[in-house]
Amino acid sequence: MVEIVFLTPFIIGIIAFFLPKAVARQVLVGTGAIHLCLSLLLWKNRPEAIFKSYFAVTPEGLLSLLVISLLFFLISIYTVAYLEESDLQHENIFTGSMILFLSTMTMVTLSDHIMVMWIAIEATTLASAPLIYTHRSAASLEATWKYVLICSVGIAMALLGSVLITLSMDIGHVDAPLSFSALTQVAKTMDPMWLKAGFVFILVGYGTKMGLAPMHTWLPDAHSEAPSPASALLSGVLLNCAYLGIFKTNKIMHAAGLNDFSGTILIAFGLMSILAAATFILKQNEYKRMLAYSSIENMGIIAVGTGIGGIAAYGAMICMIHHSLIKSSLFLSSGNILLGYGDRFIKNTGNMVTRMPKTFVAFFAGFAGISGFPPFGIFIGELFIIVGAFKTGHYIAAGIFILSLCVIFAGFANQVMKISFDDSDPDITIALKEKASMVWPQYILLLTSLILCFYMPDTLYQTIIDAVTAIGGGLK
Amino acid sequence: MILHPVDTILSLVLLSVLFTFGASRLPGLIKVIAFQGVVVSMVPLFIGHDMAAGGVVFTLATLCIRGIIIPMSIYFAIKKVAIKREVEPIVGFHASILCGLGLIVAATYTSRQLNIPSISDFTLLFPTAIALLVAGMFLLIARRNAIAMVLGYIMMENGIYLVGTTISVRARHIVEFGILLDVLAGVMIMAIILQNIKRTFDDVDTANLRNLKE
Repeated sequence: MVEIVFLTPFIIGIIAFFLPKAVARQVLVGTGAIHLCLSLLLWKNRPEAIFKSYFAVTPEGLLSLLVISLLFFLISIYTVAYLEESDLQHENIFTGSMILFLSTMTMVTLSDHIMVMWIAIEATTLASAPLIYTHRSAASLEATWKYVLICSVGIAMALLGSVLITLSMDIGHVDAPLSFSALTQVAKTMDPMWLKAGFVFILVGYGTKMGLAPMHTWLPDAHSEAPSPASALLSGVLLNCAYLGIFKTNKIMHAAGLNDFSGTILIAFGLMSILAAATFILKQNEYKRMLAYSSIENMGIIAVGTGIGGIAAYGAMICMIHHSLIKSSLFLSSGNILLGYGDRFIKNTGNMVTRMPKTFVAFFAGFAGISGFPPFGIFIGELFIIVGAFKTGHYIAAGIFILSLCVIFAGFANQVMKISFDDSDPDITIALKEKASMVWPQYILLLTSLILCFYMPDTLYQTIIDAVTAIGGGLK
Repeated sequence: MILHPVDTILSLVLLSVLFTFGASRLPGLIKVIAFQGVVVSMVPLFIGHDMAAGGVVFTLATLCIRGIIIPMSIYFAIKKVAIKREVEPIVGFHASILCGLGLIVAATYTSRQLNIPSISDFTLLFPTAIALLVAGMFLLIARRNAIAMVLGYIMMENGIYLVGTTISVRARHIVEFGILLDVLAGVMIMAIILQNIKRTFDDVDTANLRNLKE
């Protein structure tokens, strides 16, 4: 009964468009809770799907699903408070799209068929477009247009890549269903040239959606123009969904013995993203755009880790989980800052430590976590990736990696210090009372990241190992 | 050399690529894209793969949507919103047509190098697909009018449809279904955004959309 997990929010989402505002808010939280329960059940029982050729429960899918579920539940609690504070005109479209967005992302994590995966990722674009356009301003319109157009073209490339993979099956005279799990088993007999071509197109296509440079141009706009709860979802989990498409194709490449080829390309795109983030983050004057560039950086880190393989692939998985937890908490805090100061520019904020102390704690801890400071998980992930890079002899890549991380930290720290401690404008008044439901979700997200560093449940550890073994990763 | 009917049809598609590059006004461009949609969706009927009745019905449905519904909805969208009907080129029309000719030659040359057994009977199939893909992207880049950009996107999808439905018999319907869904939903959302762009900026020139940078 795997399909229930995404069908339930799909139906509720459609109904939510027609509910009165107050009810829709409760439904949002309710859906989050139901979805979390269903995901936990799925994790525990790992059942088979009804449509076996299209859907399957895979370790990497389960990891993403659990992250999505947990994040959505916490974000939905925050969203209710956020909606009370801000005055959205078309609130029902917002809540309905949020739930539909959850449904499509769940479908991505559970799909096993190449084409179903592609349809699901395309559906995430369509479901999230109304979220970005929530504020109905000229800027949000531009962001939505860019998002839909660039991502559609990107996804079209991924479709071409999927078609080329079927071609490589035909040429290799392989008779197997078009699912990732079946293809991984017969990968050796597929035609390598077309498989490589397919991988490149899929990487470019889903890479667009994942925010890898140089296809990342839509990301800062979309993430900064969307309302903060939606940004948290976009940045925290949507990027992982696109990564899942690349990860599963990489599994086929690894099984076909082409992991050197795919690894090199992944490292190249990853380093390009980290460099792009390092270049642009230095001169950002809006805090949400700064966070968006940090997402591009982290996606680059994950791509590099996946490309290097071995212990670095494990590190990449850790980075993915912790990036979702920490970045979504940062975006939620940025929502508080936006509501409090009423301004998106860094220069019009300041002295958050006394003005909004509770948000400050969440924001500053999130900043420390995302920059790779212990005791948060990204530190461990990045450490594994650097160790893996040195072990496999990727010295230049490791050099660029470390240097860019330092630059990004410097740029990020500079801006965060301004927001937190700069007291040059004493006239600023804060228009927001820091309610519990507007800070506790962030605290819980950060605490989860903290706890996972010191204590990882065996089942979680085993699932991560199962996932990365398929691409040649592991703690050896 | 005897031309296969598929090649005859495809030569029309190649011609239509040149027409789109030279079209200066939106209604003309939409008509060419509609024609292209009809022709491209007819190709699977002639390709000679075994086809059940369901497959034929599906192909005809695709034809209706690509050739009639989508172009019509865009046509009415511009009737409703756009005053300016020019495509506002960044690259001029003559230069565009020259690019188009160069593109077709390059596409033919490339597909000669890639020897794909399943479609080796149809000389023009792969060149046309590549030409459509690249030409669609060219329109996306070289036209500032948002509607012309959407049409470029549709052209790109036409190219992928051509590859997807002919290259491999496997999972053909789900490919068709996916592309159909994609084009339909994508174009609908784009049409909604277009109306909003028009309402906000009083124009659909994407030069207005230049405020978000870096």
